[in-house]
Amino acid sequence: MDSPLTLDPLFHLGPVPITEPVLVTWAILLLLALGTWLATRRLSLTPGKLQTVLELLVTTIDAQVRDTMQRDPARFRALIGTIFLFVLVANWSSLVPGVEPPTARLETDAALALIVFAATVWYGIAAQGLRGYLATFAEPSWVMIPLNLVEQITRTFSLIVRLFGNVMSGVFIIAIVLSLAGLLVPIPLMALDLLTGAVQAYIFAVLATVFIGAAVGEQTPANSVSSAAKETRP
Amino acid sequence: MSFDWWTLGLQTVNVLVLLWILSHFLFRPVSEIIAQRQAAATDELSHARAARAEAEAALVEAQARDAAVAARRGELLFGAQTEAESAKRQMLEEARKEVAKLRTEAQAEAQRRHAEAQRALQNEAADLAVDIAGRLLERLPKATRTAGFIDGLAQAVAELPEQTRDGLASEAPVPVRAAQELSAEETALLKSRLAGVLGREIELTVTADPSLIAGLELDAPHAVVRNHFRADLDRIRQELLRHD
Repeated sequence: MDSPLTLDPLFHLGPVPITEPVLVTWAILLLLALGTWLATRRLSLTPGKLQTVLELLVTTIDAQVRDTMQRDPARFRALIGTIFLFVLVANWSSLVPGVEPPTARLETDAALALIVFAATVWYGIAAQGLRGYLATFAEPSWVMIPLNLVEQITRTFSLIVRLFGNVMSGVFIIAIVLSLAGLLVPIPLMALDLLTGAVQAYIFAVLATVFIGAAVGEQTPANSVSSAAKETRP
Repeated sequence: MSFDWWTLGLQTVNVLVLLWILSHFLFRPVSEIIAQRQAAATDELSHARAARAEAEAALVEAQARDAAVAARRGELLFGAQTEAESAKRQMLEEARKEVAKLRTEAQAEAQRRHAEAQRALQNEAADLAVDIAGRLLERLPKATRTAGFIDGLAQAVAELPEQTRDGLASEAPVPVRAAQELSAEETALLKSRLAGVLGREIELTVTADPSLIAGLELDAPHAVVRNHFRADLDRIRQELLRHD
């Protein structure tokens, strides 16, 4: 078995080496694009079963974002939802024989964590302005500036390492058990891996929400009233 | 350990592309349809609230109309009742008056009929009495039917005023009616008695009239002197009727 810390290119597109995680990600991307296009072609005000599931997914993401950030979830829905869906599908892609989840590789997790980091900065500046965002590093005191800067980096690394460790370990254990015990023995572990994958997707999405929420700061009273009005609207 | 920066870059791009795809094909249309449904539900709810408000207003209006109709009905009933009672009182009063009037008229009619019947009975009784007396007197001897009345007639003539007596004496002949034919003696006796009363002889024209029953009647143009039972019975009858 190859080391989880090494990555060999499958082929090259010009100077660009294409590795297995990229290829699987492309497959996932194609699957999700095709699936969502087919599922949302005929949306109606009286939803069918599939549309109900999709609406449940969206409203659950909205509720999670609203509960965590106390803000209108519309601006953050696509990012948080995409992260959750991609991590979930990527984690569960290990069920396909011969496919290694992209999230079991550091590069994919780092890419996700970088996007969350960039989104945190972007939304922070958009919400509070550059000066206001930078001022948050001096809270509660300027003495905290180094620690806050370090925190930005460490929590990004923690995102990477948490997802990578959990998914990679699952895949690694299943591979070891499969090499030792044969065909049916790894099935309980694979079921556990499904649960772990879902939990990790949820944790990654929630942490991304928390980080972005911390960056955008407290909701203004006017916005709070507007948000509350929207929430109570039937 | 190795870290493939190309893979990092490609995966970053891949996730960003997936972000655009899911945003375009999943999150935006689904959230829009949810928002549309919420808007439609809100719209329906507002319509329902408006319809409910209209229905409640219509209900209040209908209740007010019912109350007005009930009040008007009560007024009409009260008016009709009052009017009916007034009409009833008036009708009763008129009926009472009518009954009293009818009773008075009936009493008057009854009294009138009673009086008539009584008069008729009295007439009948008087006629019967006169008839009985007449029949009884018819049983008297014929000689007594005239002879006994000559003196009475002369006495009645004597009681006439002098002027009338003079008038009788100047008239000739004086008609005399008798209950039966007078004999020559009776006629001579009558003439002599009258001559004694009048102071001179007069001529007499005696005719028989059985209706006198008994007695004589002198029928001069200016004086009538009766001395017979018919006259007496008529007088008695008149007296009876007057006293009754």
